[in-house]
Amino acid sequence: MTRHKGVTLRAAGMLGASSIAVGLAAGSFAWAQDQGPIKIGVIAEAQAISGSSIPLGAQLAADEVNAKGGVDGRKIEIVSYDDHSSSAESVRAFQRAVNEDHVDVVIASYISEVVLALEPWASRLKTVLVTPCAASDVITANIAKDYERNKYTFQGFLSSSALSQLVCDAAKDILVDGLKMKTAVIMSEDAAWTTPLDAGYAECLPKIGLKVLDHIRFSPDTTDFTPIFNRIEGEKPDVIITGISHVGVQPTVQWKSQEVPIPMFGESVQAANPTFWKDTNGATDGVLFQGEVGPDVAVTPKTLPFVEAFQKRFGNALSWCGYTAYDDVYIIADAIHRAGSTDSDKLVAALEKTDYVGTIGRIQFLPQGDPHVHGLKTGAGFITGLLLQWQNGKQINLWPPDLAKGKLEFPSFVKIGATGN
Amino acid sequence: MLFWQILIAGFAISSLYALGATGFTLIFGVTGVLNLSHGAIMVAAAVAAWAASESLGVGSYLGAVFGVLTGLLLSLTTYFLVVGRLQKSRKIREEEKEIFILTATLLWGIMIQEAIAYLYTNNAKTVAPIVEGVVSILGVRTPANELFTAFVCWLTIGALWLFVNRTRVGKAVVAASMNPRGVTLLGIELSVVYVVVWAIYGALAGIAGVLLGMFFGVSSYSAGPLTASAFSIVVLGGLGSVYGTLIAAYVVGYLETLTAYLVSPAYRTIPALLLLVVVMYVRPRGLLGRR
Amino acid sequence: MLRRIVLSPPVWISLIVVVAASTLPLYVSGYILGLLTIAYYFGVFSMAWDLLFGFANEVNFGPTFLIGLGAYTAGILDNLYQPPIFVCVAAGAFAAVTGGVVLALPALRMRGPYFGLMTLVAVLMLQNFVVVAAELTGGEIGLTVPDVISIDDKVNYWIALGFMTFSGAVLYGLSRSPVGLILQASGQDAVQAGALGFNLTKHKLAAFVVSAFFSGLAGALMVFYLGAASVGTFIDVTVGVQVIIGAVIGGRRTILGAAIGAVFLIAMGEALRPLGDLATFIVSGMALFVVLAFPGGLLGMVKGAREAT
Repeated sequence: MTRHKGVTLRAAGMLGASSIAVGLAAGSFAWAQDQGPIKIGVIAEAQAISGSSIPLGAQLAADEVNAKGGVDGRKIEIVSYDDHSSSAESVRAFQRAVNEDHVDVVIASYISEVVLALEPWASRLKTVLVTPCAASDVITANIAKDYERNKYTFQGFLSSSALSQLVCDAAKDILVDGLKMKTAVIMSEDAAWTTPLDAGYAECLPKIGLKVLDHIRFSPDTTDFTPIFNRIEGEKPDVIITGISHVGVQPTVQWKSQEVPIPMFGESVQAANPTFWKDTNGATDGVLFQGEVGPDVAVTPKTLPFVEAFQKRFGNALSWCGYTAYDDVYIIADAIHRAGSTDSDKLVAALEKTDYVGTIGRIQFLPQGDPHVHGLKTGAGFITGLLLQWQNGKQINLWPPDLAKGKLEFPSFVKIGATGN
Repeated sequence: MLFWQILIAGFAISSLYALGATGFTLIFGVTGVLNLSHGAIMVAAAVAAWAASESLGVGSYLGAVFGVLTGLLLSLTTYFLVVGRLQKSRKIREEEKEIFILTATLLWGIMIQEAIAYLYTNNAKTVAPIVEGVVSILGVRTPANELFTAFVCWLTIGALWLFVNRTRVGKAVVAASMNPRGVTLLGIELSVVYVVVWAIYGALAGIAGVLLGMFFGVSSYSAGPLTASAFSIVVLGGLGSVYGTLIAAYVVGYLETLTAYLVSPAYRTIPALLLLVVVMYVRPRGLLGRR
Repeated sequence: MLRRIVLSPPVWISLIVVVAASTLPLYVSGYILGLLTIAYYFGVFSMAWDLLFGFANEVNFGPTFLIGLGAYTAGILDNLYQPPIFVCVAAGAFAAVTGGVVLALPALRMRGPYFGLMTLVAVLMLQNFVVVAAELTGGEIGLTVPDVISIDDKVNYWIALGFMTFSGAVLYGLSRSPVGLILQASGQDAVQAGALGFNLTKHKLAAFVVSAFFSGLAGALMVFYLGAASVGTFIDVTVGVQVIIGAVIGGRRTILGAAIGAVFLIAMGEALRPLGDLATFIVSGMALFVVLAFPGGLLGMVKGAREAT
């Protein structure tokens, strides 16, 4: 009998310890306040270069808004979650953000698959979801398919099809008119955002005069790109049109190390990061990439002051997504002000009427009825993007011509026009 | 043309696999430990080399040395902090020690991986290559770095062979793998032998890691697949047999390269895995295994 | 003998805990419920693992092979054909059992580290398959399923709790039954057990099947709780490690300890979430500490010297 008693006591103690662990978790988040601050949940990939800028950009915007008195007297509070680049974790984070931390709006991710996993939850839990950096067209296609259900989601970034068109626009000026190129190979990672991108490329490249010789899609966890480059070289195109985001350092380094004589042009999301030169030990010299913003390029009067403020506060880790996350917080604050409330349905209506000049251009969302409803309006006067090239450790903007800061320059192993196709 | 491309590309990567797997098999052969933090140690070495040449600006040679030293230190830490303690523990039954060591090294590997991701993000890093430029071999434009990699791998393996066969310490190590008790009867401290083996393993993993970093680049995500690849090779070749490991490394390296070139880079790892499954069904000892 | 099992301290303490736990939704927040829901599913993963390891002494390094099979089969089926959820879940469990048998048959013939290695290889193959067949499975980043069991925290919580209790009862009962004793004997001294006339392979296979069934079932249910599946949640080796660690730090060979260990791990992981990336590092560190210093696990500490480690 004594033996059982001893076991029982210690068992109770053990259970108590476990309960304390659970209680610790509870205690940390027990302070839910419904009045008072406006809470914006930010779900992003803290360990990824593109993702880490999102909460930082958002925080900067929140602090600036708060310094000016907040939104109608209410302060903005950013609640951050790391989703470790996983859809399932982002879903958990979203549920937690809405159910426990009672956030009013969620800003989430640069990965399309993650945003696609969150889209149904935004409808189920009736919470506005804005993505600052995910590009897949499917995000807005879902809204077009079932507006009433999915209207809570907004895409604060250019869709893949828009991106492909912008790349083609720049390619026409720089590659076709400028360098008289005739053929191309499309090389992209197999991911949700590149499916519409590649379809866009396949359509617009022939229209500007570049014949597509091949279309290579590789797994995002590829580490050895030599067979891919060898295959491309064998086909002798004038240019490689890229669609890469999850990978960046490795293909670029291997491109240089193998001295592939064909230039790379297009979407290379990591190349837009200021640290990319260091990350690739300079192998990115000569790589051409599309971007929304570039160093010293004042796309709007807000662009450069934002960059300065960000770098002063956080150091250099500023990716694309930081700009859009910053703009998104301002847009949300503005919508809450106009709607006079944080009620999701009212917010949706207010957001649809957004007309805001941010750091990347003039931001308006496409209206109901458009196939890309709740996506960004693109084109002259709104958002056009830039085309930049890495030269000697700096990102130099080459396009549009009125914002160009330099000329095209390639490393010595790249041979233009030598392929004779 | 394609043939030569495959032959040369396959050779470099197989050499790299061989070096990495040799360390793994050495540790198993002598100490009976399957070190599941293997990949993490390699990645740590590569990242250390990158960080040293980047942030401290020491240039690629010194960076590489720094990386190898990191591998060495981490390996010894693994032994003293994790494996050694479990091996000597009186609280665990002998039959169960294996699972504990496996679990503990797996946890330790995860800790290293997460620490790297925390400090340096999970983005891929490439180590500044010591050798740059391209060389033309039989009409195939090959990065000089690849040749350098293969050369260093074989140099290291050669040095290891010399050590094991020609030095007293090396022979003691081999003896310990065959008969630990016999070795102690000869008056050699077993614990010293173990430290030596772990140190050598650390250097091997460090060199392999740094070379990998220069060749392909690594990220904190690479740790798991590297460990998996190393023990696939080791099992294929036969646990504990260095020759078997070398052969298996080339089999796997060439299988992967052939698949990447002839089928598609996306399916690169599949044939090697399938081969592993077949071997485990048909001949679990592996090619030249003795246990 | 049934009486003895039911009245033993572990059982009635567990019952009290379960009853107490079922009242939690009345006064605890949705966030905690969500956390515990996941923890309970992991509890089942760990208990199923413990049956195999603790008793059959088979180190299964790939519990996530079985879990992943269950989860992805259920998820993919739902994505493709949208049959009722229970059909998907049943399919998931069935797939896991089939996979388990296919893996176990050759693997159980092997000695030493080879069984463990085979299980690890199985996980890698599944992972590779999921990544390569991205069209079907959502690849690396994940799969979204159109249906969930419920969006109500409380309902999900009770389902998870009920499922864990049921699984725990079955697994615990099995472990204390004659079958369990035979498994334990075979684990501790295979030669002698065999000499006594027991067909070890048959018993181990049975244990594997049971383990696979519960793993796959739990995996499938969890997919319909989250509404999503990904390699990182169901298949990755680190998930398998969490399952194993849960069982080991809870106290192997106790079944119930596995559940405690799993809940403890998940709770710790979430409690440390504000630390961001360091959280995994710290939890792994804590688990490593437990493995090095207290091999008997949490429950082992409770039972004191009596637990024959």
